[in-house]
Amino acid sequence: MTTMDETGAGTDTTTEYLHEHTPRLAWATHAPEVFKAMIKLDAAARKGLDPVIYELVKIRASQINRCALCLDMHAKDALAAGESVERIVQLSAWEESRHFYTAKEIAAIELTEAVTVLTDGFVPDEVYAKAAEHFDEAELTQLIAAITVINAWNRFGVTTRQVPGHYKPGDHK
Amino acid sequence: MTVGAAPHPGPRTTCLDPGVAGAMSALSAAAKRGLGDPVLAELVMVRASQINACAFCLDMHVDLALERGETPKRIALLDAWAEAGDLFTERERAALALTEAVTVLTADAVPDATYARAAEHFGDAGLAHLIALITVINGWNRLMVSRRIAPGGPAW
Repeated sequence: MTTMDETGAGTDTTTEYLHEHTPRLAWATHAPEVFKAMIKLDAAARKGLDPVIYELVKIRASQINRCALCLDMHAKDALAAGESVERIVQLSAWEESRHFYTAKEIAAIELTEAVTVLTDGFVPDEVYAKAAEHFDEAELTQLIAAITVINAWNRFGVTTRQVPGHYKPGDHK
Repeated sequence: MTVGAAPHPGPRTTCLDPGVAGAMSALSAAAKRGLGDPVLAELVMVRASQINACAFCLDMHVDLALERGETPKRIALLDAWAEAGDLFTERERAALALTEAVTVLTADAVPDATYARAAEHFGDAGLAHLIALITVINGWNRLMVSRRIAPGGPAW
């Protein structure tokens, strides 16, 4: 039987899981000024954004970029903030599960996908226009900034192969 | 026949929170300072901007590369660096390969061979700042392309 501890990590004693990998590089230790600048940028980009949409955006970008540490962090933060398991589980299949989300959330998710996979259409007019229907100009550019920032965290996380599973909600709040 | 250049349709928006713009600039400066190689920094920023088709960023970083002593020929061949023989050093080639892998992240999540090649030429601190620089220009590319900022700006 598999049980989960408070961090969500499996603590089963009969199932043999694969070994946890070690990161390629402790980038924040080797570039502390960069890390501090990223924290400031993150704080600047979330200002004025709906926190529920903000976490959905962070999870969706991290799914696309396959950043395990970022998924660990933002899924746990979203759950701790009251997001439903269902909306998190369904997020990567939102096209088939639209009724779990508002029109504004879907517009934000579509923009997230376009800005994240930038080379696939370079943010098409219709995606931008749909987002602009739901967000005023200032809020829309904050949304673009937030998508940009999670893409940055994803790049650090994936490139240096950071390890998921140890995050506790609120650690980086 | 006279072919006129189509005018830029204009930016979608030049709105950008000054706090975000300032934090991005500080992040760029920290990455560049840590890398400590201004010419390589510009090559990396031009290459990522080519992939992401960021006209504003290409305009800016080609100018900066030239200012820092880069040659027009190397900039012109940057897109084909892998086939450009000894026009680029092994260190530059390792950095450019890493730039491409981190930029098109969804293609292959930065393969071991690409990472190891870069790690051979850069120490831990150098590599951390190189990754930071690639990440930062990918950030600028997203902020400029999403808002359709024209070469030369204004960008905010």
